[in-house]
Amino acid sequence: MSGALAEVAATARSGLRIRGLRKWYGDTRALDGLDLEGRRGEILGIAGPNGAGKSTLIKILAGETAANEGEILLDDAAWDTATDFHRVAVVHQEPQLFPNLTVAENLMVGREGTRALTRGLTDDEERLLADLAILGVADKPLADVPLAVHQRVEIGRALARDASVFLFDEPNSALTQEESQDLFRRMHLLADAGRVVLLVSHRIAELAEHADRVALILDGLCTTVLEGDALTQEGIAAGLVTGQAAREPEEQITVRVGDDAATALRLRGWTHAGGEFSDIELHVRVGEIVAMVGVEGSGARELVRSIAGFEKGTGTIEIGGRTGSRTVLSSTGLVAADRQASLFSNLSIGDNMVARLNREITRGGALRRRRMLEIAHDLRDRFRVKAASVHLPIRSLSGGNQQKVAIAAAIVNRPEVLVLEEPTRGVDIGAKREIYRLMRQYASDGHAVIIYCTEVPEVFEAADLAYVVSDGRLSAPLIVMNYPDVEALAKAVTRLERHSIEPAGAAPATAPA
Amino acid sequence: MTDNQGAVRQGAASPAAMSNRALAAGLRVGGIVIAIAVVIIVFTVIAKPNTFFTITNALGVMRSMSTIAIVALGLTLVIVVGEIDLSFGYVYGLASILIGVAWVVWGWPIWAAIILAFLAAAGIGAVNALLVTLVKIPSFIVTLGVGQLVFGTTLLVSNTATINPSYPPVGKVVPPAEIAWFFGLSNQQLPFGVPMQALWMAGVALVIGFLLSRSLFGFRLKAIGGNPVAAELARLPITKYKFAAFMLCSILATLAATLDFAFIGSVQPNAGVSLTFPVFAAVIIGGASLSGGRGSAIGTLSGALLLALIANGLALLSAGAYLSNFVSGAVTIAAVVLDRLTQRLRR
Repeated sequence: MSGALAEVAATARSGLRIRGLRKWYGDTRALDGLDLEGRRGEILGIAGPNGAGKSTLIKILAGETAANEGEILLDDAAWDTATDFHRVAVVHQEPQLFPNLTVAENLMVGREGTRALTRGLTDDEERLLADLAILGVADKPLADVPLAVHQRVEIGRALARDASVFLFDEPNSALTQEESQDLFRRMHLLADAGRVVLLVSHRIAELAEHADRVALILDGLCTTVLEGDALTQEGIAAGLVTGQAAREPEEQITVRVGDDAATALRLRGWTHAGGEFSDIELHVRVGEIVAMVGVEGSGARELVRSIAGFEKGTGTIEIGGRTGSRTVLSSTGLVAADRQASLFSNLSIGDNMVARLNREITRGGALRRRRMLEIAHDLRDRFRVKAASVHLPIRSLSGGNQQKVAIAAAIVNRPEVLVLEEPTRGVDIGAKREIYRLMRQYASDGHAVIIYCTEVPEVFEAADLAYVVSDGRLSAPLIVMNYPDVEALAKAVTRLERHSIEPAGAAPATAPA
Repeated sequence: MTDNQGAVRQGAASPAAMSNRALAAGLRVGGIVIAIAVVIIVFTVIAKPNTFFTITNALGVMRSMSTIAIVALGLTLVIVVGEIDLSFGYVYGLASILIGVAWVVWGWPIWAAIILAFLAAAGIGAVNALLVTLVKIPSFIVTLGVGQLVFGTTLLVSNTATINPSYPPVGKVVPPAEIAWFFGLSNQQLPFGVPMQALWMAGVALVIGFLLSRSLFGFRLKAIGGNPVAAELARLPITKYKFAAFMLCSILATLAATLDFAFIGSVQPNAGVSLTFPVFAAVIIGGASLSGGRGSAIGTLSGALLLALIANGLALLSAGAYLSNFVSGAVTIAAVVLDRLTQRLRR
């Protein structure tokens, strides 16, 4: 505990070594023999698309779940993360602390000793808080201090128990630029002090700038480790999407809608009430699938939700020539990223599909059960939901099929603009294709589809136009068709993401590829 | 009932996985039926001959369960939509007292007094719903507070006096025709000696049963209670439905209060305060989920019947009030335990 930040002697030891880590849930392989090495004294970046196994890896390292196979070594000794969890600190975007206690109490909780119920800070702890520049707020309730302070408290807790491994999981998506810079500075300090620092992030620019090496995780494996000259934003972006999406000739579903197509949606001066995006100008035509690409905190998610009326925006929104909030309510539909938020677990598959209907399924206030079944059967067949019966509980379906039901429920009353957040998150590859096909079909039927994406392969496979959102601003549109392969699109998206970060002086200047 | 049919159909559609679900649904519905059967057999055996298992006693049980059943059917709506109402007992009290005071003390015609009580109840339901939906205070706190507020009003309005239209205060006159009509609400001579209140209960059960299992209202009520977040994304009229549930709950408490007043012939200001437990117990035994999204009229009715049978049987045994509390408490907890076990089967 003494001289927490200054301890350097540990660098001689080898750090974290993961070998052949396997974890499966039922038939799904989340980790498939992952190897990874986190050296003391360096920041190891970890990147990978959703569903690649990153979160499983984090859960295992945090001791929340156990691997089925494989070994984890810390300084050449076996490390059981479940029982020895004090050796790791996991800093999430939402720290796991006690908002009702003060900053100082949060630092002490769990280590108070057995004699007194309360005690003051020890000298070491005071020094620790001072090092983290939060001694001034030590007596404030955690709920009253900013998120950046929470994360520093989390780091402080870990330092106080002398943790060796610091795992940062998308730590700065809700931080300001300045707070992020400070957090990265602390990561470097931790690394310099000989700790193992792992940084899991979607933000390619930051990985390229701050990590000494970046491990790419795809399909439960660490496919590549980039270091030295190979560690560039383009390198990461290309590595992440390699082999992830191929446009096979027979299923080229991306189209270019003619300029003469009718307008489905128009935004003018569209600004988020909470400041997540501002002054958005957008024009979406009937028949188009438009992707908003952006990391968490970029404003992209809030933007698409605001189009469906689930985030408050000011400015003009025009759908099919009409404006006003009533129009938004009657002509948009949203499918949330989290399936738990879009499905009714107490209802059957069929009832979930028709839950948004009104007049179509009633006569004089009474439900028309037969009509409901007809609609449900029709949707089940059209959406190829693999269910023996629509009477089964929704929980009996796989994730992919649940997502199909969620989308079916959203289009059942035919909104002019269909909005989907991460439409294929946690969905297997077969169901992905089906969902893209359904989105395309719905767009071709005379509607517009807007999706929020965090993954370039999804944009490449599903969208016609892509806008990159960073810091609440839209890029120029990318015409997806013009990119021969997903790597090229990924590079273009990365360039646009970086472009908006650059003015703040965060990213190193690199010649465009 | 519908659960059972669903389970059978599912059993036909897909094999092994569904047998558990059928079993679970069967156990849940069957659980109450079995419990009722066991209670009937036990009391028939241990009570004095020709006291428990008689038509007269059965009709008496139907009457005595009616108050709890009618109020519990209203509460079922609130529970299904995922909220809680602790104020219905006090609404029951206020309604009885309002009718009594407006009619007997203020000299209003009886119909006006009844309308006043129902308007007040609807208003209280609306206040509950308003604080829950628009001010977003948890319904537990809202209705706990509103209940006391209502109880205070009852004590104030009644001046803590018992009111009996047959013996009005000095200087007041209650028309005998009005008394006859009002008492007739619960005391008509019906064929086979069927109590009037049982008929009211059946009517309410039919309406609530239709609402819950056959109407769009009930379908959406379950959806909202099952997943409020999804209901919001689906743009279901959450606020409107919660208003309806809270207001119907208060209105049904008032209906029960009116009928009891008419049956008993007098009213006390603390009427209704002891309703909270048995009404909740009936709803819970009936299989409604306190976390929302699940509940049925037939279940709640069965719950009320089970409680009434137990109370009646123990009274016939002269077992004393303490044992009655003990047994109803145990039965309620057993129902929840059974529910947990069957839910595990359902997964």
